Amino acid sequence: MYSIEVENLTKKFGHFTAVNNITFQVKKGEIFGFLGANGAGKTTAMKMMCGLLLPTSGKAKIAGFDLNAESKLIKQQIGYMSQRFSLYDDLTILENMKLFGVIYNIPRRILNDRIEEQLTELKMFEIKDLLVNEIPLGWKQRLAFATAMLHHPQIVFLDEPTSGVDPIVRREFWSLIYKAASQGITIFVTTHYMDEASYCERISIMAEGSVQLLGTPTELKQQMGVATIDDLFVKFVKR
Amino acid sequence: MRVILMLIKKEFLQVYRNKLLMSILIVAPLVQFVIFPFTADYEIKVVKIGFIDSDHSSLTRQMVEKFTYSPYFINYGFIESRDQGEALMMQDKVDFIIEFPSHFEKDLMNGLSPQLAITANAINSVKAGIGSGYIKNVISSFFNEQKEGLANRSAQPANVSISKVYWYNEQLNYKNLIVPGILVILVTLIGAYVTALNIVREKEIGTIEQMNVSPIKKWHFLLGKMIPFWILGMVEFIIGLLLMKFIFGISVQGSVGALLLCTSVYLLVMLGLGFFISLVSRNQLQAMFIVFFLFVVFVLMSGLFTPTEGMPQWAKYINYANPMSFFMEIIKLIVMKGAGLMDVMKPLITLFVMSVFINSAALLSYSEKKK
Repeated sequence: MYSIEVENLTKKFGHFTAVNNITFQVKKGEIFGFLGANGAGKTTAMKMMCGLLLPTSGKAKIAGFDLNAESKLIKQQIGYMSQRFSLYDDLTILENMKLFGVIYNIPRRILNDRIEEQLTELKMFEIKDLLVNEIPLGWKQRLAFATAMLHHPQIVFLDEPTSGVDPIVRREFWSLIYKAASQGITIFVTTHYMDEASYCERISIMAEGSVQLLGTPTELKQQMGVATIDDLFVKFVKR
Repeated sequence: MRVILMLIKKEFLQVYRNKLLMSILIVAPLVQFVIFPFTADYEIKVVKIGFIDSDHSSLTRQMVEKFTYSPYFINYGFIESRDQGEALMMQDKVDFIIEFPSHFEKDLMNGLSPQLAITANAINSVKAGIGSGYIKNVISSFFNEQKEGLANRSAQPANVSISKVYWYNEQLNYKNLIVPGILVILVTLIGAYVTALNIVREKEIGTIEQMNVSPIKKWHFLLGKMIPFWILGMVEFIIGLLLMKFIFGISVQGSVGALLLCTSVYLLVMLGLGFFISLVSRNQLQAMFIVFFLFVVFVLMSGLFTPTEGMPQWAKYINYANPMSFFMEIIKLIVMKGAGLMDVMKPLITLFVMSVFINSAALLSYSEKKK
């Protein structure tokens, strides 16, 4: 049972091919690491899957819906956290959660319960009336994740969710990811941190717009004859 | 409905917390109303005038005295020659030179028509035009006063008296036009500027992406942006109307209801324009530049500073696309002429058609998905 099926997906900007004919599947409830050097086309590929960018050619099924024909239906089933933090800085924590909850059509009573539950879990209940620009980056990112999860999506797309924060916050963030995955939510995550890549069940490495390697971290290490994912990445990118 | 209400609440919270925007919204109308009408004034209060008197008669001296008493003139005094007069004009010491030929009084008394020359510095053509109007008035009233004395003579100089009645603005007070004009500018800026910058800002900080990835309907998003700024624009307009009444004593002569209806339609045009501009601009700087460019064209062709009737035909055709000129016409009709709804039907319908057009264009070109 796959929750993401991508087939020959391509994106061209003029003469530049950002994503070149990629094909892969992600299983339901899987934590899938989408790796690649800067400019390899990860964000472009992810934006196409989220319906933010029109593919030049190719097909995809996201949460069982066709990307080209049913993108409206897909939107209700996915959560998205972009590379840059994109909640409203000048709204409070609570106001942001309510806003996005309403936009995703979550009934009022259910929404209030979920918000309370999430805020308690994030230990942000006491500070729920602080403006978002008053809280530290690590908290913002956890808040963005919780907000993207409010409507109980089937798939969550995370674009470098932990860039710029310290290892403790990163670990906290990954415990949120594990918890979500244990509830059957598919996690599609891009990252630059190779230790994070080893937390993933399967990883793919993208270069020059194509998926070059795909497998579990252990498989890939054996296949390339290296000890760590770090070495794998370096060896691969140098090749 | 719940989504739209939530978006409106969000927008008001953001405006309320944006100290710069808040202060612009509050201070801008006050500053515009308190400063601009006093500075943008066509009335010329100081005309510097000099005389070349080759006649040296009692009549010419009396006439010069007459100018000296008028509060609008600063009398430079007598000038020796035309050369000196020209030099003084170059140095901006005088704006006008009145030259009496020799035998001016004598010729006049003998029934000849002596000519007196008025030379004007026309670098500022408005000042030259209005100033020479003043001078003609002073001269003709001078002759009217002299009429008694001259009546005894057999040869009486022809006295042409012109009586003028100015309708709708009896004192020819320029403020009666400029103040309502400022109202128009205010509403335009709030509509187009604030909307465009607000949406482009969401593009810049990436929150619009978060909206686009959600299942929100695009007309919900559009209404969630437009309704708050429409309300703000109307509030600003009403504040402007009150300032107009209490600072300048200009009250709306016609139907206030019709005025508010027209303003609300005009705001829709401007909001749609702002929305459209935000779609074609990548950042706030671009949006600002486009709005500024359009704004200048709109204002200069609106009929606020120069009457639209004086424009060449091709410019009039271009002006059919200028929503501000229609709104300016409505404002003049309702505020000054006391028009009602039926009198402004034509420009109102035009504005309505424009609002439908620009908003549909914006809605159609807005796409959650980038190409």
